[in-house]
Amino acid sequence: MSIGLDPRTRIVLVFNVGILALVFDHWASLLALVALCLLPFLAKWKWTVRALSLAVLVVWSTVVSQALFYNAEPRIAWFHLGPLTVWREGAVYGLVQSLRVVAVGLAGVALAIRTPPDRMFAGLLRLRVPFGLALMASAAFRFLPELSESWSVVRQARRRRGRPAHHRTPWRWLQLEVSLLRPLVARAIRRAWCLGESLDSRGFDPVAPRAVRKPLRFGSGEPVLVAAVCTLTCSAVAMRVLYLLYTWDSVYVPSLRPMYAFVRAWL
Amino acid sequence: MTLRSEGVGYRFPTADQPAVDGFDLVVDPGTFVLLTGPTGCGKSTWMRLAAGLLQRHGSGTVDGRIELDGVPVDGLLPSHRVARLGFVAQVPHDQIVTGTVGDEVAFGLESAGQSAEEIEVGVRRALQSVQLDVSVDHPSTALSGGQMARLVVASAIAGSPSILLLDEPLAQLDPPAAAALLDVLRAIADAGTAVVMIEHRVHLVRDVVDRVVVMNHGRIIGEGADKLTEVGLGLALPVLPSPESYGPVLLEGTGLRYRYPNNEMDALAGVDFSLRAGERVALMGPNGSGKSTLLKSLSLAIEAGSIRQAGGVIDVPQDPDLALFCATVRDELAYGPREHRMPPDKIVARTATVAEALNLTHLLDRAPQSLSRGQRLRVAVGAAMTVAPDVLLLDEPTSGQDRVEVARMMRALAETDHTRAIVFATHDEELARAAATRIVRIDRGQEVKA
Repeated sequence: MSIGLDPRTRIVLVFNVGILALVFDHWASLLALVALCLLPFLAKWKWTVRALSLAVLVVWSTVVSQALFYNAEPRIAWFHLGPLTVWREGAVYGLVQSLRVVAVGLAGVALAIRTPPDRMFAGLLRLRVPFGLALMASAAFRFLPELSESWSVVRQARRRRGRPAHHRTPWRWLQLEVSLLRPLVARAIRRAWCLGESLDSRGFDPVAPRAVRKPLRFGSGEPVLVAAVCTLTCSAVAMRVLYLLYTWDSVYVPSLRPMYAFVRAWL
Repeated sequence: MTLRSEGVGYRFPTADQPAVDGFDLVVDPGTFVLLTGPTGCGKSTWMRLAAGLLQRHGSGTVDGRIELDGVPVDGLLPSHRVARLGFVAQVPHDQIVTGTVGDEVAFGLESAGQSAEEIEVGVRRALQSVQLDVSVDHPSTALSGGQMARLVVASAIAGSPSILLLDEPLAQLDPPAAAALLDVLRAIADAGTAVVMIEHRVHLVRDVVDRVVVMNHGRIIGEGADKLTEVGLGLALPVLPSPESYGPVLLEGTGLRYRYPNNEMDALAGVDFSLRAGERVALMGPNGSGKSTLLKSLSLAIEAGSIRQAGGVIDVPQDPDLALFCATVRDELAYGPREHRMPPDKIVARTATVAEALNLTHLLDRAPQSLSRGQRLRVAVGAAMTVAPDVLLLDEPTSGQDRVEVARMMRALAETDHTRAIVFATHDEELARAAATRIVRIDRGQEVKA
């Protein structure tokens, strides 16, 4: 995504990452997927550090918790930490699950930070997403980052007028925290109303056909990239389905034995 | 096209009184009309009716007729609206729909079904009209306040509407940006468009417009300077007395320097600031000059260098929505004293005093979020005043207020028994001269010495 891909290509790539993350069940293939999803973050050192930190944090915490609390059978004790047993299957299970989450998360974040909202909007429209839904998605992309900033201003405003939040009973503290959502909700409603008026006064009609100022165009090689990725994903899905049918004793094709071996070893 | 408003009224579902009542106005092509009146008198409500918005989306009761050359404004087809009516709301940032300048201006033209070539011509013409000299691919939300105001005007005029309605488009602009936008609007009116604009700072606009229409209690009470005086809007702000001497230093910052993430310029570039008891300091400067950043640094909301506070400091942000979190105005005003464990009878007394000083008594049982922007700002200032800090930092506390309320607020701030000094950011030169004991001018993050 660091090479100026068409938004449709980006959305399709993220969609494919989502499917592959579900289809892959081996930590090595998932790790490769995560590595690919890290590529867009390499454009900036700061992004790379943040993405890697987040990935390591998610993987580490999931692996440790699953390694300690894994409950399914069979399980083999890997080693002991004092009274605690570290289960090998738990660690592998945690690794696989966390890599899935990290791959999809990184792909989504990369799409969000590397795609301007208007391009995202245009891309969604061209992918036949309904206009209203595409508009809502792109508006959310624009306004969501401002939410955390507003949240911090609200908390600062409260702090200056009152005691520290923890100087009260847990119930009062909870009430206070909930009440702090009020200005955010009110602001979001006010903003949505204003945006609605702006759309209405500029002739917006969700069901009417619209002209397009700047039609999207695929860059050279992008259709090939999209076709290749979609073919890879479809192949992976097909192999996974055939393998599942084989393991469920439903369909067994002797000539597919090399494929079964490949799925077992790598997917 | 002529805009005709006959006997127009509007009552919000829960209101006892109509917000607009028997409003008659005719606006001819090429006329530039200023619509003014006290805060909350129904100006914005009428403008939303004139744009056909409240008829379509409001849940109140509408009376009378608003027509464009005999056609009711609420009956216009969406694709026809763009060429008939342009509407600009109060906060530019909130009405921006798309991500780039070009797409934003093109939005209405796309709705009208124009061809790609026509859209491109329309976009360039509109941007040229408002003298917005940025690339069409420039991110729309990365513009300055003044540029953003021009962008929303360009978006509204791109379809060459016959009527342009603007709700306080100058509210957040510094004087040069406001003057430039007024010149643009004058040129649009001279080209044949009827322009109706709401604004409180009549002295800024009076020489540019053709008519000054004054409104009060939901209806037009007349036109011209006499009527302005009748509702207190034409009056000069009273000059507040300065103390004979000032007390000890309450707030001091040295070498304040701050740069926002992903910005190439320092928002504050080595500012020294000190505030003594008894001072009322006005911070002035163009949009984006660093006024708000200086206030944030003085309140320790951001780390910009060495700050010494000798007493309690409270800041009120520019956006009142972010300072109000209680269910009623009364609770909002009482929150601070209650938190500081003040006796209940004193809380009631202080709340009543501040409410009266800021003309909020009649709003005490209302939800803060249901009030107009000007009223919400007053509640936010009042909520800070009831805490009785030594220093109050206010970021544009008078935007959206009429002159009567501005004078009332500044008097209340100057006469309060508890707060010993205030700093307020403003674009209003007259207000600064009348209310401040000292004016500090900021430009590009540095203090500008006279």
